[in-house]
Amino acid sequence: MDFIRNFSFFSIVLSLFSGPLSSILGRKWAKRVNTAEIILLGLMSVAVLWYVLQTGEAFVYTMGHFPAPWGNEIRAGVLEAFMAAFFCLIMLLCMWGGVRERESEIEASKQNLYYIMVNLLLCSLLALIYTNDLFTAYVFVEINTISACGLIMIRQNGRTIEAATRYMIMSLLGSGLLLLGLCFLYDLTGHLLMSNIQEAVHALVANGQYQTPLLVSISLMCVGLAIKSALFPFHTWLPDAYGYSTVSSAAILSSLVSKGYIFLLVKIFYRVIGFDIISSSKVIHVLFAFGIAGMIVGSVDAIRENDIRRMIAYSSVAQIGYIYMGFGLGTTAGVIASIYHVVCHAATKSLLFIAASGITDVSGGSRHFEDLTGAGYRNKLAGVAFTVGSLSMVGVPMFAGFISKLYFAQAAVGHTVKMLPTLIALAISTILNAVYFMKTVIRLYTPVKDGEKKAGYGTITVRQQPVKAVALILFILLNVILGLNAEPVIGLIRTGLEMFS
Amino acid sequence: MSDLWILSPVLLTLGVGIFLLVWSFAEHILAAKAFRPAEPAAGSKPEKEAGLKTVHGLAVGTLLAAAVLTLGAAWSGDRSVTLFYLMKDIPIYFHIDDISRWFVTVVTVIWVLVGIYSTVYMQHEGEEKRFFGFYLLVYGVLVCLDFSGNLVTMYLFYELMTLASFPLVLHNGSREAIMAALKYLFYSLCGAYMGLFGIYFLYRYCSSLTFMPGGTLSPEAVSGQAGILPVAVLLMLIGFGAKAGMFPLHAWLPTAHPVAPSPASAALSGIIVKSGVLAIIRVVYYIVGPDFLRGTWVQYTWMALTLVTVFMGSLLAYREPVLKKRLAYSTVSQVSYILFGLAVLSPAGFTGALLHVAFHAVVKCGLFLTAGIFLFCCGKTRVDQLAGIGRRMPAVLWCYTLFALALIGIPPTSGFVSKWYLAQGALHADIGVWSYVGPAVLLVSALLTAGYLLPITMKGFFPGQEESSGSAEDTEQKQRVQADTAGAAKRQEPKAAMLVPLLILAALALGMGLLPGVFTDFAGGIAALVI
Amino acid sequence: MHIAIMITVVLLPILGGILIPMLPFHNRKQMLIYIEALVLVNSALIIAMLLDEPEEAFVLFRFTGDLRVSFHLDGLGRIFAAMAAVLWPLAVLYSFEYMKHEGHEATFFMFYVITYGITLGVAMADNILTMYFFFEMMSLVTLPLIMHTQTREAVLASRSYLYYMIGGAAFAFIGMIFILAYGTTSTFVPGGVLDPAKIGDKTNMMLFVYVLCFLGFSVKTAVWPFSSWLPRAGVAPTPVTALLHAVAVVNTGAFAAMRVTYYSFGTELLRGTWAQNVVMVLVIFTIVYGCSRALKETHLKRRLAWSTVSNLSYILFGVVLMTPLGLAGALCHMLFHSFMKICSFFCAGAVMYKTGRSYVHELDGLGRRMPKVFVIFTISGMALMGVPGLAGFVSKWQLAQAAVASENPLAWVGVGALLISALLTAIYMLTISVRAFFPGKDFDYSKVADAEDPNWLMLLPLTVFVLVIVLFGLHPQPFIRALQEVASVMTVS
Repeated sequence: MDFIRNFSFFSIVLSLFSGPLSSILGRKWAKRVNTAEIILLGLMSVAVLWYVLQTGEAFVYTMGHFPAPWGNEIRAGVLEAFMAAFFCLIMLLCMWGGVRERESEIEASKQNLYYIMVNLLLCSLLALIYTNDLFTAYVFVEINTISACGLIMIRQNGRTIEAATRYMIMSLLGSGLLLLGLCFLYDLTGHLLMSNIQEAVHALVANGQYQTPLLVSISLMCVGLAIKSALFPFHTWLPDAYGYSTVSSAAILSSLVSKGYIFLLVKIFYRVIGFDIISSSKVIHVLFAFGIAGMIVGSVDAIRENDIRRMIAYSSVAQIGYIYMGFGLGTTAGVIASIYHVVCHAATKSLLFIAASGITDVSGGSRHFEDLTGAGYRNKLAGVAFTVGSLSMVGVPMFAGFISKLYFAQAAVGHTVKMLPTLIALAISTILNAVYFMKTVIRLYTPVKDGEKKAGYGTITVRQQPVKAVALILFILLNVILGLNAEPVIGLIRTGLEMFS
Repeated sequence: MSDLWILSPVLLTLGVGIFLLVWSFAEHILAAKAFRPAEPAAGSKPEKEAGLKTVHGLAVGTLLAAAVLTLGAAWSGDRSVTLFYLMKDIPIYFHIDDISRWFVTVVTVIWVLVGIYSTVYMQHEGEEKRFFGFYLLVYGVLVCLDFSGNLVTMYLFYELMTLASFPLVLHNGSREAIMAALKYLFYSLCGAYMGLFGIYFLYRYCSSLTFMPGGTLSPEAVSGQAGILPVAVLLMLIGFGAKAGMFPLHAWLPTAHPVAPSPASAALSGIIVKSGVLAIIRVVYYIVGPDFLRGTWVQYTWMALTLVTVFMGSLLAYREPVLKKRLAYSTVSQVSYILFGLAVLSPAGFTGALLHVAFHAVVKCGLFLTAGIFLFCCGKTRVDQLAGIGRRMPAVLWCYTLFALALIGIPPTSGFVSKWYLAQGALHADIGVWSYVGPAVLLVSALLTAGYLLPITMKGFFPGQEESSGSAEDTEQKQRVQADTAGAAKRQEPKAAMLVPLLILAALALGMGLLPGVFTDFAGGIAALVI
Repeated sequence: MHIAIMITVVLLPILGGILIPMLPFHNRKQMLIYIEALVLVNSALIIAMLLDEPEEAFVLFRFTGDLRVSFHLDGLGRIFAAMAAVLWPLAVLYSFEYMKHEGHEATFFMFYVITYGITLGVAMADNILTMYFFFEMMSLVTLPLIMHTQTREAVLASRSYLYYMIGGAAFAFIGMIFILAYGTTSTFVPGGVLDPAKIGDKTNMMLFVYVLCFLGFSVKTAVWPFSSWLPRAGVAPTPVTALLHAVAVVNTGAFAAMRVTYYSFGTELLRGTWAQNVVMVLVIFTIVYGCSRALKETHLKRRLAWSTVSNLSYILFGVVLMTPLGLAGALCHMLFHSFMKICSFFCAGAVMYKTGRSYVHELDGLGRRMPKVFVIFTISGMALMGVPGLAGFVSKWQLAQAAVASENPLAWVGVGALLISALLTAIYMLTISVRAFFPGKDFDYSKVADAEDPNWLMLLPLTVFVLVIVLFGLHPQPFIRALQEVASVMTVS
């Protein structure tokens, strides 16, 4: 079964080349090819996961069999394979969930372009996940940025252009900082392969040499990726980008793009620097502080928001805050919680975006709260889905969010100083989440008085939007499964992290 | 269990009382149903009369039967009944001892007399079924209260008594009466809850809550933990004192008594306030024990409160122009005589207190009945309207005068005997300066009593033309007084059913003073037992 | 089979409830029969289970690791389950009549019945996680019931309800985490599970967490300063306010507080500390505060709701005494208060249903026209104020005894608060009865000519409740013994 080792490389290349393929196909076929490709990639990732679990150790795939430092390496462990498979799943569901909006909101001539962008994006995500080479990672970070910009901009109205520009500027700033940090590191160690760098860094630390440049390098990389993944206070680009793009894009951006960067950060922590060095450095305190600030500020902003899409976008800021707070705890338990939250947030936030689009559809296209009254009765499935997503985000047991909250809290209890701040921040953030999410849910189920019915209110049943309905149902199931039986996922994350070192 | 029959009067009165209430209710619902067909249910008069006769017959008959049963039960030896266990080691337990006997006899006598009086009086108040229903209920509850053998049973009936008696106060249904009844209710409950507070603590510090002469406080539980206990006891005293009109929770009394129908105020003033006294006797002499309190700050505080009440009550009565209110204030003052006698914790004081319980019940009841007659026959409520009443109803006014003398304490009336003992008790008790202050206050109060009661007699018999013309009152009132005097010229005594109870009470008030030996011996016997 | 029965009684109402709007009933009657049958069967199962006394724990599923949702029936849970089993069928019966004029019956009964299952889940929760799980579920399934009338007021009320509930749960969550981290096990063990070795010098932190956790769970019990949701939730239909906001939901909070105090943190650690004082002060304050607010309130149901606030704090007062006697008193009041308050609420509901009047000043003279309802109301009112011979006296006696015996001066203040509250209760309950029976001399009875006593569907539950109140009041001994047995397991230390 050793040919499975090739799969991770194949999947990157496959997604890279299916992009050009999409451009020459017709619109319908492009869509089908795209779906097939994502499913295929997912299956391949599952196969890799199965293989790695079988062998019990990560493997390194050397491209063209050139050994380092000349060749380029790909490394697949449990965590990588799992993330790849999971990202493919979410990507597929996001594409399904936004199919109608894509067709109505994007010019027909540009729809093929959309598939190219998605292919490129997936390719870059997989590359970020699998690569064992820091510079390759940087390259795909850039590809990722560009395709993400395309996804934002492709729905053409004035706001998306502005949003994309802002996103571009912030993102490039982040990439720049990342590149800078990377250069420092290369300068210090003379390597680009992650495993080699780690050895060199450990030697440096052991000798006590170049401590300041090392710290600067770590900080630069952290800040760079934090900007790209919209950690408070670098989140200003996010609401517009998520709020005004087409719904597939918003879901993909929020649940995949930012998560890709976060995963890269985890890799840097474990594979490049070494987690013991990270956890003893002061950088994580900063991450912790900004994570908690993000949790609170994001939620407060969301409460003040009057537009359902932007509200969900602000909620992402808060959730990203959770993840960085987990990193900031500086323990493996914290990182496990964070990675679990990556998973859970990806599953929930895309659900919320897609459900929100279903809700706005039956409310005359308006996204303002007063128009959403009673939408839960007009589009029953979207209403239920939004409720499930909200409950998950609030952290009600039975749904995914509760488990990650539980893990965050348990991780925090082990820590002497950060315990109480974390727990109290969790509690406050739960309340704030409840305020804006449940407010929305209650509004969805407040019936409209007969006299207030507005033009544009329609009803949509499951039968009218089969693909979207399937996507929503799968998302709901995913949430419930993650909420009721988290043990396998947690187990995968734990073994994956062990394989990192 | 064979003694269960002692509760038969209770069962009887409660049963008939509830029957009357249900009857009254059913009548209302029928009336309301009949209202809709537009024909007012103006049942023919004879029929109505017949109905009322049945009610009166039923009520008085029940009362008499119950009275016989009660007295029979009370005077046939020490009997006890455990009904059932409310909680582990807290039974509903009845036990008849000398105190029960004393109180229940007073209650029964007064209740029967007032009941007979009511058959006439209540005709102008209406809603007689309801009145007699509650009246009988209260009697049943009072008998239980007097028979109670432990603190919780007593508390149970104490509270039931409050609840059953407050409809008597609001009987006439005016806004004023309802507010007064609520005031009565809440003051009483407030007091009861303060008592309950104490019971909670006593349960902890006493070996049992069953009444034992001399108290049941268990020494080992008290030792070292006495800090809260005196506070609890004082709260109990103040709480149960609310019913007895003791300062500071006395304010309900002058509000509630005057608005109630006169028989009700007679019963309230004569009997209900005494149940507060009974509760205090039970707590102090049968649970806590006088030895625990003697010489403590609790005793002095209590004594001071009673004296303040005695003086204040008299003074307020002196300044009060409305007769029934004046009598109510007088009750405030007189009941605190009793409490003062209890507070000195000496045998003589206790004897005096017990005697005053009976004497004051008789006298105050008589006074209120008199006031009721004035109200019923002539519609007069204010003292200044009563000038010349003696010409119209000499017998009533003579009775009044006798009661007044008894209340002041002029020999040979009964009041003199009890006050004598009270003063003796205070003077011989070891309570420092209080043994002089107490009697002095009692004396001053007696003077005030004379001041507020006797002028009515004087004006009643000698309206004194020159005085009313001499005053700067408006002429209209003068004319009215003259007209009344003219109208009162012919004798017009009230009906026998009203007059006879009054005469009996007067005879009692005088007779008990002439032959006090039986009573003093009995009360003294109890006092010797408990102290 | 006896293990499986535990999961059955939880799931049967939940699944059966979900089916209500889906099943094709031909008419209303069929649906009602189905509902009543469902509830009765479940009650019968519960009673069978109580008699069977299953010992083992039933594991429903695992979240992760040793965090599992599992059921186990112990003494405390048995009492709560029995209470639910008795109250639900009667309340459902009452609702049949009441809900006629509220509409949307299928939805209403769906959630009403689901709540039954959730309540049992709380009662039988084996560990703190399970309890938390059902605690949150409870908040969610009762939300639609509050929103039922769907007026603006109801929506606002349900919103604030939810904020309070989730906020409370968020803080209770912290406590749960600490139990998981510092306890030897997460299951409920009489006397607590905390491991002194793990706590070390962090006692103060644990106490702080206890206060947070206690208050978090007590939000459901409407302890001050988290009490305002309860009166606002009174906009719900009366069966909801009566059964859920006077009994099931709020007692869940009290029940959770008991679990946390006696079975998780353990009274050993807490007794005599500042944490105990803090919660006790809050509870005592709530006792008086609730009553005072009830006094000022003129809306009948809201007045009763404030009364509930105060009475729930009686229960909590028993809990925070942290003695076995205190727990017995708390259980006793939990049990007795449920019957008393549901009875008063049902009377209020009957009045609203029959006459459409909901303010106290509109009740003048109704006693004459609806004598049965108002006699029952008066009895329940007297029971609440603690007239001896009725249920309230007994439970207050137990609480006060526990407080006196605890030798804690603050608890003595609490006894005073109980009595002040009793007086205030008398004022706010009896004024209603007085108004109803004695409207005043020249009251025009034609104004209330339309009122009459409701039919047997409403009167039957009321009669049962009032009989139970009298039974509890006159012969409480067997119940108290059972409760004390439950509480006596605490005396191990």
